[in-house]
Amino acid sequence: MSDTVTIKVNGREVEADPTKPLIAACHDSGEEVPHYCYHPGLSPVGSCRICQVSVKVGEMPARVVVACRTPITPGMEVDTEAPKAHDARKECLEFLLKNHPLDCPICDKAGECTLQDYSFDEGQGEGRSVEPRRKLDKRKDLGDVIVLDQERCILCSRCVRFMEEVPGTPQLCVSQRGSHSVIETWQDRPLAGNYQGNLADVCPVGALTLKEFRFQARVWNLHKVASTCPGCSRGCSTTVEVLRKGEVKRVRPRENAAVNGWWMCDEGRFGFDAVNREGRLAGALLRSTSRGWDAVDTADALETARDMLAVHGEVLLVGSPFLTVEEGKVLVGLGKTLGTRPVFVSPEPNEWADDLLHTGDPSPNRKGLEDLGFDALPAEEILARISEGSEAVVLVGERIADSLGRDAVAGLGEHLRVILMDTHPVDSRAIDVAIGVPNYVERAGTWVNIDGHAGRIAPARQAPAGTWNLERSLDHLHTLLHTEPEGATP
Amino acid sequence: MVIVQRKSLSLAERLYLPEVLRGLSITFKKIFQPAITRQYPEEPLPTTEVTRGQPRLVVKDDGNIACVSCGLCEAACPAYAITIDGQETDRFIEREPERFDIDMLRCILCGFCEEACPKDAIFMSNELELADYSRSGLVYDMEKLKRPASALKGRMDYIKRINDRWQTSSST
Amino acid sequence: MTDLILLLIKASVIYGGLLGCAALMTLAERKVSAWMQYRIGPNRVGPFGLLQPLADGVKFIFKEDVTPDGANPWMFRLAPLMAAVPAMMTVAVVPFAGDVTLFGYDFGPLSIADLDIGILFVLAIGGLGVYGVILGGWASNSKYSLLGGLRASAQMISYELSLILIVLSIVAMTGSLDLREIVAAQTGTFLGVLPDWNVFQQPVAFVLFVIATFAETNRLPFDFAECEPELVGGFHTEYSSMKFALFFLGEYCAMIVMACLTTVLFLGGAEVPYWADAPWFLQLPAFMVKAGFFCFLFIWVRWTLPRFRFDQLMHLGWKVFLPVALVNLFLTGLLISF
Repeated sequence: MSDTVTIKVNGREVEADPTKPLIAACHDSGEEVPHYCYHPGLSPVGSCRICQVSVKVGEMPARVVVACRTPITPGMEVDTEAPKAHDARKECLEFLLKNHPLDCPICDKAGECTLQDYSFDEGQGEGRSVEPRRKLDKRKDLGDVIVLDQERCILCSRCVRFMEEVPGTPQLCVSQRGSHSVIETWQDRPLAGNYQGNLADVCPVGALTLKEFRFQARVWNLHKVASTCPGCSRGCSTTVEVLRKGEVKRVRPRENAAVNGWWMCDEGRFGFDAVNREGRLAGALLRSTSRGWDAVDTADALETARDMLAVHGEVLLVGSPFLTVEEGKVLVGLGKTLGTRPVFVSPEPNEWADDLLHTGDPSPNRKGLEDLGFDALPAEEILARISEGSEAVVLVGERIADSLGRDAVAGLGEHLRVILMDTHPVDSRAIDVAIGVPNYVERAGTWVNIDGHAGRIAPARQAPAGTWNLERSLDHLHTLLHTEPEGATP
Repeated sequence: MVIVQRKSLSLAERLYLPEVLRGLSITFKKIFQPAITRQYPEEPLPTTEVTRGQPRLVVKDDGNIACVSCGLCEAACPAYAITIDGQETDRFIEREPERFDIDMLRCILCGFCEEACPKDAIFMSNELELADYSRSGLVYDMEKLKRPASALKGRMDYIKRINDRWQTSSST
Repeated sequence: MTDLILLLIKASVIYGGLLGCAALMTLAERKVSAWMQYRIGPNRVGPFGLLQPLADGVKFIFKEDVTPDGANPWMFRLAPLMAAVPAMMTVAVVPFAGDVTLFGYDFGPLSIADLDIGILFVLAIGGLGVYGVILGGWASNSKYSLLGGLRASAQMISYELSLILIVLSIVAMTGSLDLREIVAAQTGTFLGVLPDWNVFQQPVAFVLFVIATFAETNRLPFDFAECEPELVGGFHTEYSSMKFALFFLGEYCAMIVMACLTTVLFLGGAEVPYWADAPWFLQLPAFMVKAGFFCFLFIWVRWTLPRFRFDQLMHLGWKVFLPVALVNLFLTGLLISF
């Protein structure tokens, strides 16, 4: 950390980092300075001019300057609400709104749009311009992820800078000049790369929207919960947004300087299909005699599981890569009781690895589980061990069947006694007990990322009725194993 | 303390019978006066554009629903009666409701939705009757709520008039 | 044998008429009250709602029959019958019209039994009605019912006394207990212009009698046996379905009988004014008009006057009616003697 300098913001002395622009110091000291083109993760350009504040240095009279392009010098006196600065901002706002369409009721950004917020604060209900608004392309397709509404664009150029500076693949530009300026790709080529989703986040208005999320929900209906991305061992901090406590509609990066900054990759952003998948395993199922399943209480299913484990000596505990540290700890304890060392499925590295965020290792808690004493084994090896040596197998954790391959699990030999603890049931003759578990938007826990940084996951909605938390199920099973079965004869 | 001076009763009043006869004559006269009650289902209550009945959705003259599913009525609804899911359309107005449910059992006919609507798409109609054999039948979906703009014209004009009056009175 | 058949025919005609009238009374009660309150009243079932009593009857039959816990089941079932049967029995002696000749056959006078102690029969049997009420109140095992039953008995005893004294003065004037004789005694004219009806000869007795019938039949303003604001439903609080319907029927039958009795005692019964030898088909309507007026009066008063207090009722019964009735009897006696 470089040396700080002391400046005055609205009469209060604050310590400011001189490597950052003045607006950052204002924000750090808790003052509201509106900004559209400025983004803490991008280089400032000062194109929107909405962040004007009044600055007085030394004996010079106070001047109105753009806070995002003003370096911090010692002894600055900043007044964010000076009448002159306020008037200047208001005039800028009027110009920004000159060509901005009044389609907030349709716009997906409504509710989290700073232009909307600031217009509301300033209360300018009507424009004074008699000129017609610009008529531009409202549905410009920018590839698989992003749709551009050129009318809504206020030409802040955040998206242009993001593409240049963060993934380092410049693809967008401001073409034309003056009032004809629009955001475009070269020769209308679709955008490419694994980081396009961030464009919708950096866009301060509703110009760049996600195709996936377009018109899906109003943002104020979304229940937002801080979570961690399960996509790879980076474990980016995210916000999971759930519509009416049900369907996960959107995942957005959450600022975390230690892990992901302000960004996340598209793989992680759109990789939440599994949590919305239908056909959840609620409560528990027991294999019945007549080739079907009987729905039972989780407690009853765990009794049956205990009986199976007590009888069979050779037990294999297989954890999913999505096990939290807390669940892993209980599973290790269970393994000690059963005299076995748990393993977890270590999926193959995928092709998404890059030098920005994605590690290519789709196992969000690898470090945490390995530190607990799990053996990381590839799916094939685990399947081989299952079919070779063991009599009883416990498959534990969210999407364990997916990790091992659903077909592989469904095809396990009938002689095996398999206890499945997963979010979705698998119809296999080998499985005798299936117990539902919550997925990562339904439970709390910790994943440790590749750098040893702990990422918390938190429940954003309720698990299906009757489903126990995995920790509770494993704990209960552990307790049952320590008590003698009822009516057991010596 | 107030001492109430009660009127002392005359002999006829104390005898009670003349007063009874007087009362009987009053009730007898009433028999021949016309009834003021209404044969309800055959003679419904007269409604005006001020009548704040159940909310209904406007279908514009071009056949498209006026609602863009912005969700402001949903947010304004104090009874949480409204549920909206949006979807994209190919029309110039890019958004329309995929689902627009009003739980009429929750609706308190307050008219906040009408007030909140930025697109003049939801209005309190003059429809007041509400009956069904199941609760789910009273959760009205979009098809049950749609009404042509002509059917709601009186109310729409009335609201416009009221809004104009507000506008002028606040600016002066 | 012919007599028996004749009796059966007459009995079925008269009881059919009585029950029909009782049903119509329930409708009239609702219609008249509606008119008095600027309403329309029942008009959905049949023309002008005329089939409403039928619909009510069907509804009564299909209602659940509840017997409360701890109620004495036999007494509970007996009570409605005890309330309804005496009220219906009294109608047997009422002379509705003179000799009936139809299709050239003489059916005799239009009444079921031509008792020479008719008035005694009416009072004796009518007095039994209170047993049904008090039994129902007691058997229901409910404090409201019990209080309603007690009130009914107290009230009926109080007013029966005055009622009998008034009837006594009429009987003294006529010199006979036979209702037909009492009717016959009222033919002719009184003071030259008026019909020779007891209402003109005994105006005080008439007023007392009419008021006493209200108390006797438990009608407003003296309906303390049910008295909804205080006792929920009074003696029939716990009754439902057809048992309740029987109480209801008894009440309306009692009203009709009392209206008939008032007609017989004070309005010359079936006599057509100024035409002593009117044929039966004019006498019967004359009787029905007179009795109908009293039936209407029952309804009319009910929707006009508020309920008394119970102590007021007792005060009226014992301290006003009894002395006045006694004095009236005394004066009547004096009048007859001299």
